[in-house]
Amino acid sequence: MSTALTTLTVGDRLPEWSLPITPTLVVSTAIATRDFQDVHHDRDIAQAAGSKDIFVNILTSTALCERYVTDWAGPDVQIRGIAIRLGAPAYPYDTFTFTGEVTAVDDGVATIKVVGAVSLGDHVIGTVTVAA
Amino acid sequence: MSAAPAPELVPADLHAHLMSEAERIQGWGEAAERTARDEVNQPTINNWLEAMGVDNPRFTAGEAPPSMAQVWTMYGLGGKPSEKDPLHAMMRVLTDAGFTAVLGTNCEQSYDRYLTVGERVRVTTALDSVVGPKATGMGVGYFVTSRNTWYVGEERVATMLFRVLKFIPRGKEAQS
Repeated sequence: MSTALTTLTVGDRLPEWSLPITPTLVVSTAIATRDFQDVHHDRDIAQAAGSKDIFVNILTSTALCERYVTDWAGPDVQIRGIAIRLGAPAYPYDTFTFTGEVTAVDDGVATIKVVGAVSLGDHVIGTVTVAA
Repeated sequence: MSAAPAPELVPADLHAHLMSEAERIQGWGEAAERTARDEVNQPTINNWLEAMGVDNPRFTAGEAPPSMAQVWTMYGLGGKPSEKDPLHAMMRVLTDAGFTAVLGTNCEQSYDRYLTVGERVRVTTALDSVVGPKATGMGVGYFVTSRNTWYVGEERVATMLFRVLKFIPRGKEAQS
C-alpha cells in the first residue's frame, strides 16, 4: 500500500492496522531493541512491581509508528522524526489498533498523526514526519 | 527554572534543593559519552525486522531503520549508566527525595539521516529540564527531560528528547 507523498492532502486517512499483542511480540521486540528491563520479559517481576503483566517497551512503540507510516507511505520515503506521547500500557492478549491522518503537507514533508490504541485507551499518540 | 510551587505539593526547601541540583546537573552539558558496543550490523537489524514484522528491502541492503538509532547504544543485559550520566544523576536526586516511581511520558526522536551498516555511533546525554511539582493522576512528581545526541564521528545523526514523570506513588506520601 504505497502512497505518493506528492498526492497527499491534509485530512487523508491511513488504513486502520491491527496487531495482536502476544507475549512473544512483547518479549521479542524488547530484546530486538536491546532493552533488557525485566518488566518487558518477566511476568512475575512485572506483577510484583504492580503491573498487570509484562508490557511493550517504548522503543517498540516508536518502531511500530515507524512501521505503520512506512507500510503506508512506501519503503522509499525518509522518516525525519517520530515524536510520541505514551498513555495506556500495552499488555499481552490485547490488540493494537493503529489509525493515522495527514495533518500537514509542506514542501515535500508530510506530518502524520498516529494513534495506537489498546483496550485500556490510547497507548501511543505519535507525530511522524516523512519526506519524499 | 520554574515558578514557586504550591506549598501543599512539595515543601519549599525541598523544591529549592531539587531545582538547585537540576541546575548543577544541567551544567554538565552533553555528558556521559559512550560508544556503541557494536557497529551498525545486519544481524541486529535482522532481529529487529523479524520482531517488528518489517520487510522493507532497504534494510537488507545496507541501511538501518531510523528508530534503531537508540538501539545501538542501549546498555545491554546488565549494563548500567555511569554516575556521570545526567539523567541517571537527576533520577537519583529525585529517588533520594522520595520520588521513587518512574513513568515514561514522551519520546521525540529526529533523524538527520539513516545509518548504514559498518558505522559506529556514539551518544551523549544532557539534562534538558526538570519541571514541577505537578499533581498528576499517578501522584505528585517532576517531569524530567533528557536529550540524547547520536554522532558518527563529528556528524550528528539523530537526537532524542525523552521525558519521564518521577513521582511519589499515590498512597505513599506519608513515607516520603
